[in-house]
Amino acid sequence: MWHNVWAVIRREYLQRVRSKWFIGVTIAAPIIMIAMIVVPIFLSARGNESDQDLLIVDGSDVLYERLVSDFEASGYSVAEERWRVGVVTDLRQQLSDGDIGGFLVLDQLTLETGEAILYMNDRPSTVRRLALRSAIARAALEYQLEVQGLDASAMLAGGELRIEMLTDEGADKDDPQFFVAYMGTMFLYMVILIYAVSVMRATLEEKTSRIVEVIISSMKPWHLMLGKIIGVGAVSLTQMVVWLCMGVLGVGAGVPMLIAARPELVSLENVVQVLPGLVLVLLFVGFFLFGFFIYSGLYAAVGAMCSTDEEAQQAQAPVMMFLIVPILFVMQAIQDPLAPLVTGLSLFPLFSPVLMWARVAGGGVPGWQVGLSFLLMGATVLGVAWLAGRIYKVGILMAGKRPSLPELWRWVKEA
Amino acid sequence: MTDSGFAVRLEGVTKRFGKHTAVSDFDFEVPRGMICGLLGPNGSGKTTSIRMIMGILHPDEGRVSLFGSDPDVTRRTKVGYLPEERGLYKKMKVLELLVFLAEIRGVGRAEGRKRASDWLERLGLTAWADKRAEDLSKGMQQKVQFIGTVLHEPELLILDEPFSGLDPINQDVLEGIVRDYHAKGTTILFSTHLMHQAERLCERVCLISNSKKVLDADLKQLKAAERKGVIAVEFEGPDTWIQGPEVDHVGEVNGTLHLMLREGADHQAILARGVQSEARILRFDLVEPTLHEIFVRHAGHDAVGDAGVPLAASAGRS
Repeated sequence: MWHNVWAVIRREYLQRVRSKWFIGVTIAAPIIMIAMIVVPIFLSARGNESDQDLLIVDGSDVLYERLVSDFEASGYSVAEERWRVGVVTDLRQQLSDGDIGGFLVLDQLTLETGEAILYMNDRPSTVRRLALRSAIARAALEYQLEVQGLDASAMLAGGELRIEMLTDEGADKDDPQFFVAYMGTMFLYMVILIYAVSVMRATLEEKTSRIVEVIISSMKPWHLMLGKIIGVGAVSLTQMVVWLCMGVLGVGAGVPMLIAARPELVSLENVVQVLPGLVLVLLFVGFFLFGFFIYSGLYAAVGAMCSTDEEAQQAQAPVMMFLIVPILFVMQAIQDPLAPLVTGLSLFPLFSPVLMWARVAGGGVPGWQVGLSFLLMGATVLGVAWLAGRIYKVGILMAGKRPSLPELWRWVKEA
Repeated sequence: MTDSGFAVRLEGVTKRFGKHTAVSDFDFEVPRGMICGLLGPNGSGKTTSIRMIMGILHPDEGRVSLFGSDPDVTRRTKVGYLPEERGLYKKMKVLELLVFLAEIRGVGRAEGRKRASDWLERLGLTAWADKRAEDLSKGMQQKVQFIGTVLHEPELLILDEPFSGLDPINQDVLEGIVRDYHAKGTTILFSTHLMHQAERLCERVCLISNSKKVLDADLKQLKAAERKGVIAVEFEGPDTWIQGPEVDHVGEVNGTLHLMLREGADHQAILARGVQSEARILRFDLVEPTLHEIFVRHAGHDAVGDAGVPLAASAGRS
């Protein structure tokens, strides 16, 4: 009989993996995601004004040297123009003739107030304007402090806050770790939901296309359900493996590009912090699989008890509640993973897939809690399989109105 | 006949859905190699009975056996089942779908592919092998469904309303295939509400009505036994003489009026009335009743979903 389950798995898997939709989403999703993160960084760094020529007329005699590197980082090729009488008039003429890209005039007043005049044909972007302004102000301030005999460069570079924690207290909201944990949890929730709903749709399709009776006459409903769930699960794993590979490639290629574009954003420490640990990735897959098996069983039962898409939309609401409730606690789970409320909720097997992972990503969760949640989820998978299998068996051949709760219970007892 | 002489055997089978009894104390056998029709109006319990034979439903009481043994063992590989509610995976290519259907009935993929290709060719669907099922016309889809039923060369074919939805040409094609299988020794059980189809194809018929078996007999014997019960008449003039205590029901077959007599009635009395009337009798003939008439006699008009032909409407044509 396992031969049959295998045939169902094979059909389900190949039909899905070969579909244009699957190929499209699998390839496009990470590209879009990476593009959403990377493109704005590149745009703000380079824009369409990249590598513009800029002459600097340094009337202060001390600022030019200090500004060169900052300006070049912002995408200007700078050159110094000596101060002389009438230089501004000359350069204005050259600018309007298009001989030069623009010029910046610094003078004694710049040293005192940070004020400077930039002559350009096109208005520079806000980001670039801010960068120039802060570079000039910083250079002026540095000079003033040096005159006083102080080396303030370290302080001006932003200082440093060393953090020494006595306990492992989890992530802060602005922390890259928080971002990863939050996005990861949302992603986990989404893939569980999407693939569990796929199982429901597949079941419904078999009912509405009326092929199910042919299939059921050749195998046990339980085997059909199992085959469908494993088949769809294999599809989801395939997608994740592809995404993971693309992620590795993307990080491998993207980080050097990012470093090249915005060196000040990327320190090695940041990268290490942003990259989720291998354990977190493995746990992600683990929680996904258990979550998928729990919810796909429930969704298969929902699909089996309905006859139309509209009906199924309504009937899935109670199941979906169990997926949505933990989302309400995700923030807290990440920020304060050891709080009793989220600890308790995350051990409830229907909430575990989303909430326990969020807590682990937040940090500091004892290993035994993770182990316990997997045990409880494992038991739940079996329970759901038993329950859903019985509802599925009766429901799959039913036409007409969807059953009430008492009727559903009768199905479970009779099957 | 020994137990294993029957391809299908139902003993005292009862199935209830809530308060409604769908099938009541049903005894029924299909001997091996026979082609047997399960007849009855919609809602009489045909599909429920077939689903119990197929193990899709389980009887509340009674026993189902196939080839003399527990049906679960033999069902998957020995039985080909075309349900009344039938469909295909719409997005799947026809050939792949057929290979899948063969596979779940124990035929290897390579062998399944070969058989499916042969069948597609036989039914003129080769050009559609790589098309999606949803691109096929309804008639073609039905052919594909039928191919899916027989790919594993079953010993027993169970077809639930196999002809419904087919145009006359394809009905003939399917009828031909069913006859071929019968000739090869395959046992065939099919349900229909079309009497003339059953009459053409069946060796044995079973009528169920209102969840109960009404009749279960060999068709030839049945017809011979019922012979004295039906009189074909043709006449000119008034029709009042054909009505009387002897006549249970008047029907029309191919333009001729058929008088069905009550149990034990004497047709001479009708003839005598006719001779005395102003009507001119052209024909008065004891005929072999149609299956339809036999069922009307046994189960009443309601049972076969037929209101009969009103006299006034038919008389003018005689």
